[in-house]
Amino acid sequence: MKKIGLTSILILILFTSLVKNSTKEIEDRIYIISENIRSLKIQFEDEVLEYNYLSSPKKLIKHQSQYFEHNLVKIDIMRIKKISLRNDSLKITDFIEKNQVNE
Amino acid sequence: MNKKNNRNIVLEEYENEFSYTKNKSNLNIEFNRVAFIFFVFFAISIIYSVQLLHLGSLKKGKNIIKTSINKKNYRADIVDRNGNYLVKSVSSIDIGISPADVIDKKRLLVNLKWIFPNKDYKEIEKKLNKNNFFKFEKKISSANYEKIMSLGDKAIRAKEELTRLYPQENLFSHIIGQIDDDNNGISGLEKFFDNKLKKSRKVLQLTVDTDIQFLIRNELIKFKEIFRAKGAAAILMNVNTGNIISMVSLPDFNLNERKTITDDNYINKVTKGIYELGSVFKTFTIASGINEGLIEPDTEFLDSKKSISCGKNHQIGEYDDRMPPDLTVEQILIKSGNIGSVRIIRKVGVEKHKSFLKTIGILDKIDFDLEEVGKPLPIDWNEGCKLETIAFGHGITTKILQLAKGYSIIANGGYDIKPTLIKKNLTKKNQRKKVLRNDVSKKMKSILRKVVSEGTAKLVDVNGYQVGGKTGTAEQVTDSKYSNIKINTLASIFPSDNPQYVLVVMLESTKIAKEYVYEYRDGSGFKLKGSPRNTAGWTSVEAASKIIDRIGPILATKYIEN
Repeated sequence: MKKIGLTSILILILFTSLVKNSTKEIEDRIYIISENIRSLKIQFEDEVLEYNYLSSPKKLIKHQSQYFEHNLVKIDIMRIKKISLRNDSLKITDFIEKNQVNE
Repeated sequence: MNKKNNRNIVLEEYENEFSYTKNKSNLNIEFNRVAFIFFVFFAISIIYSVQLLHLGSLKKGKNIIKTSINKKNYRADIVDRNGNYLVKSVSSIDIGISPADVIDKKRLLVNLKWIFPNKDYKEIEKKLNKNNFFKFEKKISSANYEKIMSLGDKAIRAKEELTRLYPQENLFSHIIGQIDDDNNGISGLEKFFDNKLKKSRKVLQLTVDTDIQFLIRNELIKFKEIFRAKGAAAILMNVNTGNIISMVSLPDFNLNERKTITDDNYINKVTKGIYELGSVFKTFTIASGINEGLIEPDTEFLDSKKSISCGKNHQIGEYDDRMPPDLTVEQILIKSGNIGSVRIIRKVGVEKHKSFLKTIGILDKIDFDLEEVGKPLPIDWNEGCKLETIAFGHGITTKILQLAKGYSIIANGGYDIKPTLIKKNLTKKNQRKKVLRNDVSKKMKSILRKVVSEGTAKLVDVNGYQVGGKTGTAEQVTDSKYSNIKINTLASIFPSDNPQYVLVVMLESTKIAKEYVYEYRDGSGFKLKGSPRNTAGWTSVEAASKIIDRIGPILATKYIEN
């Protein structure tokens, strides 16, 4: 009985070792992929930073005055409309109803 | 024969000479073989187990993060509510020169001059002659890095460093704050969250909106110039959550320049600046009376005199001699009456009003996300005229942040809020603590709306936003005396039937603008050139109206789901 116990433990240990050995390959692949993702993430963050800088309000206003003849106009909230889809038809209503802000 | 047969038979106990003994030597050999094989297997299994444990303990994902975090000078990034970077840690390359390794100094100098033509090469030549290692250029571009390394001079040493970039430059200077050369936060969020930013890799997301901050700052800069103000400040906050959408204090500074700032005028005027804010406190006086059930908006105060005495011969008068003697509570706020406010506060009494101001967070130091938080000056409530002057906002100091909090509580139905810059999950309304009576908010919203539509803040009656609010013009205390320098404030809420936002605009030390043209918002098309007075009604109210004009459509459409 003891021999069976010992043998089964040994078999289990060996089996686990074999499984672990095979998963090591997968782990290596995961490691390589995560490393690649990490470098891509850094690259992505740098691109976002550049985008944030180039599209910052200050830059946009500067470019607007540099390249366009007309000034930007502010939106009158009373002229904003709401579009909603009801029963396959578009319904356009005032954004501000009865002189109330709709929030 | 018998003799022969007389042999004694001796019976002896039979002892079998054969005795089984274990052949120890043979069996031992067999047992040792099994033990040996078992030992070998055991040893192998132990080695495998140790290896397994070792492999199991290696979590590569965590290791990656750890190595990154351990980089010197690492700090977590900060983004606005829409995920736009406000601060980012990026790698940069510093170039140093080791003079001892220079082979041809002249040739090196010529090459460096070709790549970096704007540097002082006389100074660099002196450094080269001293033979001590020195930093030649910090944070060089990748193009220049390529060029300088292509020189192939072994005296040139490149060192990769982590640096902090602020893409929005001045826009959030007072909120973000600065760090020193040792990577320690010295002001703003950089100081308050110093440990968190150093240890955590998770970005810190704020409640502020870059676009709205830009628009408010632009308008403030414009009106600071128009009214030649010494400084200006504004805060826009959600009245229900306490989330700060914008917080501007002028003058500000470019965070990328890392200047040492010693001028007091550069303090955060929203959180650190302690001011007497004047008539904006009349709102609290009336709200306190309604909260105690002592007055209603239509309660009348009749036969008010032109001046009222208190303490030791101290006289309190009206700023406007045309103030009618008979006014309702509502009219007192609309017309900003001092005497009426004094009569109301006398009804309320010291203890109840003190308790009210404490409840809405005006009296104590506020718990906030920045280090730069001023503490209101202590009040001697027993001093002769203290209660009476507090009724119209004199003899009591607070910060713009606390004023915004007080107005928010009055506008949001009487629920306590905690102003914050850090984006968190929205607080459910039922979890909030109610601190004021049910009817206070409803009544005050209506009165504040009338102050704008009929009273001293008409210029901020922007069509479509139902702005409510109160103006405050206070004389600044210099050398323990009131001076001519004015602190002009507008505290506003909008839309007044269901307030979402509180906007406070303050202009410090304003002057009359002779050339500025006011466009009346009553539909008459009337225009007025030059400001008649340098009071809040003609300065901060006009600035606030232009701000709401700009940010209103964004707030109404962008944050509709909030």
